[in-house]
Amino acid sequence: MLTLLKLLQSLIKTLHSDGTPGQVAAGMALGAVLGLTPLMNVHNLVILSIILVLNVSFGGAMLGWALFLPMGFLLDPVFDDIGRRLLLETPALSSTWTAAFNTPVIPYTNFNNTIVLGSFVAWLALSLPIFFAARYAVSRYRATVGERVRRSRFYQAVTASKAYNVYTWFRAD
Amino acid sequence: MSTPGSVPTDRASRGAPYTPESAGAPPSEERPRRERKRLVRWQGLIPLALVLLLLGAFWLLFGDRVVRQTASEAATKALGTQVDIASLEVREGESSIELRGLAIADPFDLRRNVVAAERIRVELDPVPLLEKKLVIRRFSVGGVRLGTARDEPARRIDDNGFAATTLRGLREWAAKYRHPVLALTPIDTIRQIALDPSQLGTVRAATALAARADSVRTALETQWRGLALRETFDSSEALVTRLAGASPRTLGIDGTRRAIADVRRVVREIEEAKQRVEALHRDARAGVATLDRGVGSLDDARRADYAFARGLLKLPSLEGPEIGGALFGPVTLDRYQQVVYWAELAQKYMPPGLRPRPQQGPERLRAAGATVAFPKVRTYPDFHLQSGEIDFALAGGAARGSYTARLADLTTTPALVGRPLRFSARRDAAGSAIGALQVSAVIDHVGGRMRDSILATGSDLTIPGFALPGLPLRVEPGTGTSRLDFVKNGDRVAARFTVRSSSVRWLPDSARARELNALEALVTRVVSGLNDLEVTANVTGPIRAPAIAISSNLDRAVAARVREVAGEEIARAESRVRAEVDRIVAERTAPVRARVGELRAESERRVAEARARLEEERQKLQGRLDSLTGGLIPR
Repeated sequence: MLTLLKLLQSLIKTLHSDGTPGQVAAGMALGAVLGLTPLMNVHNLVILSIILVLNVSFGGAMLGWALFLPMGFLLDPVFDDIGRRLLLETPALSSTWTAAFNTPVIPYTNFNNTIVLGSFVAWLALSLPIFFAARYAVSRYRATVGERVRRSRFYQAVTASKAYNVYTWFRAD
Repeated sequence: MSTPGSVPTDRASRGAPYTPESAGAPPSEERPRRERKRLVRWQGLIPLALVLLLLGAFWLLFGDRVVRQTASEAATKALGTQVDIASLEVREGESSIELRGLAIADPFDLRRNVVAAERIRVELDPVPLLEKKLVIRRFSVGGVRLGTARDEPARRIDDNGFAATTLRGLREWAAKYRHPVLALTPIDTIRQIALDPSQLGTVRAATALAARADSVRTALETQWRGLALRETFDSSEALVTRLAGASPRTLGIDGTRRAIADVRRVVREIEEAKQRVEALHRDARAGVATLDRGVGSLDDARRADYAFARGLLKLPSLEGPEIGGALFGPVTLDRYQQVVYWAELAQKYMPPGLRPRPQQGPERLRAAGATVAFPKVRTYPDFHLQSGEIDFALAGGAARGSYTARLADLTTTPALVGRPLRFSARRDAAGSAIGALQVSAVIDHVGGRMRDSILATGSDLTIPGFALPGLPLRVEPGTGTSRLDFVKNGDRVAARFTVRSSSVRWLPDSARARELNALEALVTRVVSGLNDLEVTANVTGPIRAPAIAISSNLDRAVAARVREVAGEEIARAESRVRAEVDRIVAERTAPVRARVGELRAESERRVAEARARLEEERQKLQGRLDSLTGGLIPR
């Protein structure tokens, strides 16, 4: 419950004052990969490290994850198709894959799985559009309904919890 | 990472209310200078370190359990039968794994284990692990037991995996396989049978052929009408009549020129009609040839009908192979399924060549997808057990004896290893159920064509007894020898299974006790008098649908005695049946044969008539043309 509350707090705070729209958008673009690709893979540990270490919005990343998680499930057949085309139906790439997947550590990325590779490639292609769309959306939100939400009782109640303080560790400067 | 339209966060952190800039506000001269954001947030390393620590702690606490469950599930899926592992310990420092309480259930008997081992130690080469490849340097097994009873029956692996599909396929094939039945019908019950014509394949084939003949006839009729020969003839006759008695003098220069042009046009039409007739002739011949083949196949169907009708008589089995198949078919089929199952798995998991290999991905909430392996020359295969040895001795129980097994070059990519898998095992346990057993196998998937061979010889074996189908007898072959030669070359198989015993006992099967008829009593006396048993089963052909031929001294003896006693009566009954089949078949197929013959004759006749008439018209027109031109214009 506490985790959920913290997540809710972080999402709402994210939209209002947690970093610039660019930082939030960068967080969302990075968080999207957690939702679009199967979670338990090495590349997601790297992405999580980047989210924690780079000065992007952690809340934005969580928001991106939450938003793109259902899309990941829905788009699995598409990812599978992309992965198959890249891994099995593009002879020009075959030697690249053979070299890569016989290189130490690389096989642990599971990029030789059609879903993992397909979803990751889809995320690479979508990351910039996600970034720009999210930056525009956050700017518009703050410029329009943001202030009204900020004054609402719901917002005050959510942000009053002290548990929120833990979250501020990862808040974008 | 600030962007146009964004608000510096230090303002928020100081508690100042968020105030978005209005779109129409004039640019302020006192606007604060854009602050350069830090790219890295070093305090993020703390939670990152915490995450890594948590992962480490999780591995220490639950790593062995996770690996055990994963290994058990993966092995269960790969082998298509339940694989249990009681405990598993990963020793990172020694790059080894120790398993305890391994039990692999028998896919053909869920209450037993194919093999169980108390302790297995696997020493891995650490370098290939970096490439997610398992190269086993040493493999040792202790406390091996074969064919042990399970405390609980294994669960059925009911999925669409390769192993489960293979198992299902074999079972379906075995269920469909028609063993000859040992029929020992009393001679006095063999009577004339009343055959229903609709049961005969020949009659059904003849009916279908008649329908096909009708459709060929209809198609040819349609094509004849499409030839429009009548119009061509009418046009030619009209022109010939118009030009009768005409000459260049009566027609004039223009009239003559037009007449010549008309003649040439109609001659061209006649030539085109000839081509259409020839095309139709080719079609007609092809259609009739198909029907002729159908008529030929009626004879094959009749041979099958003889066998069917003979089956209705329930005649006593006379042929040796038939009796052998009836007596030992179920046992042979059972053994064959087991050998093929493991051979199919070897083929699946040890494919030849170095092409990318897609396999189903891991099970997870998300779709599994396909995981593709990309083997590379002169690198490690995904899995390679370089050599394994098992030497152990069991002191008591049915499995007592000394065991030795050697295994070399078990791998998922034989082409990379360049050597076939070799396996040999030996058991010496004088006085036990399997006194001595030697097994050697070579699984060669190195080249393009897969060739597997297994040779197993057993001596001093206690051959398991079985109930004799068709008779209330149980055979206890006692102690004997056995040999299995199995060669799988591509998708074809050649196997020979031999069992010999010289101390056979025939025991009444009380569960199936009943009163025997004269023939059954005779056969029972014949077989009961035999002390030796020699059974040979030959399996050849495509691996999923081979032909099985079984012969034994038993069936030879039974066939000889049955033929002696009932041969004459049986031959008479068979002859009656054949005559009855011939009568029905002749009655039903004669009209069809006649119809096909008529069709052939009629199509030939019509083609010949059309050819002659067209030629006649062409000659007439040519005569008119010659008379108009005085033969000066070449034809």
